[in-house]
Amino acid sequence: MSLQMQSNYNNELEQWELKAKGEVDISTAPKLREYLDGAYQERRADIRLYLDELNYIDSTGLGVIIGAFGRMQETENRITLINPKDNIRKLLSITSLDRILCSDN
Amino acid sequence: MTDILKFSVPGKPEYVGTVRLAISSLANCAGFDIEAVEDIKVAVSEACTNVVCHGKPNREETYEVACEVGEGRITISVVDRAGGYDIAKYQRPAIDMDNPKQGGLGIFIIKALMDEVDIFSELGMGTSIKMVKYLSRF
Repeated sequence: MSLQMQSNYNNELEQWELKAKGEVDISTAPKLREYLDGAYQERRADIRLYLDELNYIDSTGLGVIIGAFGRMQETENRITLINPKDNIRKLLSITSLDRILCSDN
Repeated sequence: MTDILKFSVPGKPEYVGTVRLAISSLANCAGFDIEAVEDIKVAVSEACTNVVCHGKPNREETYEVACEVGEGRITISVVDRAGGYDIAKYQRPAIDMDNPKQGGLGIFIIKALMDEVDIFSELGMGTSIKMVKYLSRF
């Protein structure tokens, strides 16, 4: 039960590319928040959050992403979730968050 | 014929994952498919997270997770003595996309994923969330 994060700023596309691997729940959500806020504070830019290797997320993790989404609206920057697995996509769908957070909606 | 398993869990964030793992193993053994196991896993995790988040500050009490397996279903009860809350505040039917909020998603998700959900809460006492998932018929 752990979360690994990677963070990289793509100078060419002028956007953050973050990767989340493992699980996000109440014990690991603070780490996700730290990376999302850290990136945005360092440079105000869009964030693409890659979820290819994220196996689990619940409302605490979704709450962190919603919080980042809200703060980034000030500068009209976006956070986009890329390649969520089926179980995570289901959660995004029932909460309707896919409409604002997924690139294919 | 049903079997009952009970876990007594300290109200700390690091044990929510342990409960999740135990329940998903149990649901898998009971014959639920992968998608149903995922639903059960998330719902139980949300119920446990609720206890840990809404518990009394500076008081780390234990809460109980009871599972009843058999007769084509799994019933899970998460019972705490963390002081209770006003359930009416959490009856939000949908999420406002113009103003998405960080809190209040947990109960909404539990109700969406499980077949039956009953929540009892008494202010000053505690909360009980009872969730049922049926084995799908083939």
